Amino acid sequence: MSSKINIYLVEYAINSLLRQKHKTFFITIILTILIFLLSSVFLITNSIKHELNATLKSLPEIIVQKSKAGRHYDIDIDMADNLLNITGVKSAIPRVWGYYYFYNSKTNFSIVGIDEYEEQYKDTLEKIATTLDFSKDSMLIGKGVNRIMSKNYYKEYFNFIKPDGSIKKMEISGVFSADTELESNDMIVMSINNAREIFDMPSAHATDIVVKIPNVDEIATIAQKIKQQYPDTKVITKDDLKISYQNIFNYKSGLFLALFIISLFTFFIIIYDKLSGLSSEEKREVGVLKAIGWRVEDVLKAKFYEGFIVSFFAYLLGLLLSFAFVYIFQAPLLKNIFIGYSELKPSFELPFVFDIQTLALIFFLSVPIYIAATIIPSWRSATLEADEVIR
Amino acid sequence: MLLTPEVLTLSILNVLFVIFATIAFVLSVKIYLNWDMNSTNQKQYQLEKYSFLNAIVIKYIFFIKIPLFLFFIFTLDKISNILTGAMCSAGVIDATEYGTYLIVLKILNLYLFAYWLKLHQQDKKDEKQLYTKLKFGIYIALYLFFMVEIALEGIMFYSIDINKLVSCCSSIYSSSSTSAISTIFSLNTKILLSIFYGNFFLIIIFYFFKNRYLFALSNIIFIVTALITLIAFFGTYIYELPSHHCPLCFLKSEYNYIGYLIYLLLFIGTFYGLSVALLKKSRKNYKISLIFNSLYVILLSLIIIVYYIKNGVLL
Repeated sequence: MSSKINIYLVEYAINSLLRQKHKTFFITIILTILIFLLSSVFLITNSIKHELNATLKSLPEIIVQKSKAGRHYDIDIDMADNLLNITGVKSAIPRVWGYYYFYNSKTNFSIVGIDEYEEQYKDTLEKIATTLDFSKDSMLIGKGVNRIMSKNYYKEYFNFIKPDGSIKKMEISGVFSADTELESNDMIVMSINNAREIFDMPSAHATDIVVKIPNVDEIATIAQKIKQQYPDTKVITKDDLKISYQNIFNYKSGLFLALFIISLFTFFIIIYDKLSGLSSEEKREVGVLKAIGWRVEDVLKAKFYEGFIVSFFAYLLGLLLSFAFVYIFQAPLLKNIFIGYSELKPSFELPFVFDIQTLALIFFLSVPIYIAATIIPSWRSATLEADEVIR
Repeated sequence: MLLTPEVLTLSILNVLFVIFATIAFVLSVKIYLNWDMNSTNQKQYQLEKYSFLNAIVIKYIFFIKIPLFLFFIFTLDKISNILTGAMCSAGVIDATEYGTYLIVLKILNLYLFAYWLKLHQQDKKDEKQLYTKLKFGIYIALYLFFMVEIALEGIMFYSIDINKLVSCCSSIYSSSSTSAISTIFSLNTKILLSIFYGNFFLIIIFYFFKNRYLFALSNIIFIVTALITLIAFFGTYIYELPSHHCPLCFLKSEYNYIGYLIYLLLFIGTFYGLSVALLKKSRKNYKISLIFNSLYVILLSLIIIVYYIKNGVLL
């Protein structure tokens, strides 16, 4: 649309940048750091989102919970049989699970009870069910749980304190590592009866019921049917979970972005200021250029090239650094913002996710804004009168 | 209300645009009222300086706007994940009453900005700068359009309700719905296709006659016929699904982002076709228009042919 790129002007722009080493260096460094921070945050959220979505895939289509006075209560097992009567439901499995607070290290373990003969609601549990010895009081624990237990000298067994104060001794029969460490790090798997005993839950009750539906299109209708049959339940579909995950991460990175705007604005002013204060040497330079026949457009173009080269270079550098920071060094410090501090913090690897949209997002937040900051200062210097400056 | 990082980014850039466009607007009004090429007083010199600033600001906005438009569509696609029922950006556009106007206005503004730049280029070539007053007058109108667009965009993102159920594109663009769009499907495909190819043939004929107004007119009609046939006929071959007519789904990665190529070809081809009539006619504009329009037709025809070769039948 506009005239072609003038190689000589580009060359001039690069040389001009190199002539003002300190200024260029300073601006590039700041811009690079800003872009680096921003893109690191987005890369981390992308990776975690990816990991969570992978976990989500293995989740059941519908989870039915009983709620009373807005709080979660144990659900009747009989309901599972009734749910099976709804057309389209492949299976309805009552689950027994919950959190056990371990006072010594102030952490919550998630205890999951599984039944030997029942179908498992997750593939990872299927594997575990074959290795667990159901005849004894034994359990399988996740990596993180293992670390904490052995720190507290529970190497072969662990004493659970039941609600009535008595002690339930459970043998540790092994440590497992599931596909996704995010979900399995704080998990303890044991037989369903032992789990009931620890939670003091009657055998006719369960924590919730998971419903499997092979046909995705039927999920919404079945969820509605369950809600109508049992008004006292809370029906959570996979889509609900997915949306709430996405909202959480949008919220977190949105919050960060909101903070980022402030620093971006500051940066805008710094650049504006830095470029507005022309030294007499720079003024002379523009004067000489115009005296030898450069038009205003030529000067503007050269200035634009300068701005574009600096910002695009900083963009690429910042991006490269953040890729290295996030995927090679696993984002120390920054990662904690998103997964929180906890003794049982999963030490998972951030999977590599390449998303063009994120790159575009970061691009729009850096390059155009930098160039915008340079427009007015470069116009000012380009419209200087040659005779006034050289004199 | 939506505040995803993408929407925030769009808003930040919009704020920036408003600031710069307003500066340019104020200066444009000044220039439009006081421009006098023959005057040699201080004021005229200052105005000439301002005209450079104006031009660069408008150029800046336009060149950011093009990729930003693609990013906007990208964003809508992403939001469609959060909205219940939406499968692609069509659902998001349909989620509020402003969406359709916004898209139309956005495309219109792209054409207008591009036209402004062409005018600017002509103006720069002319030593008497004949168009200066005209181009800043046009910018004043353009500014109003642009502000409406930004306001609409803000309102749209503000009023999207995440919990509301929206329509999926296959229901918006289905032949059974009672919208204006569905009347397209009641037309005979054979007639539609002959109009489309006939229109393209007309463009070629007018190219050889070099009649600028007829050439531009046939280009305007070509935009309409191209879009209608794209929805009614060509789109189904991209999806390889006779019932899916959405003109936005093929912007997604599942279809290798082919939509961006399609719309880009159509935009460049028809824009240069229009500029033949609105600006001084030049051989180059004719040529570019013809080349891109032909590429558009060839690309779409190829999709059909490849489908036919692969499957041996037509949908």
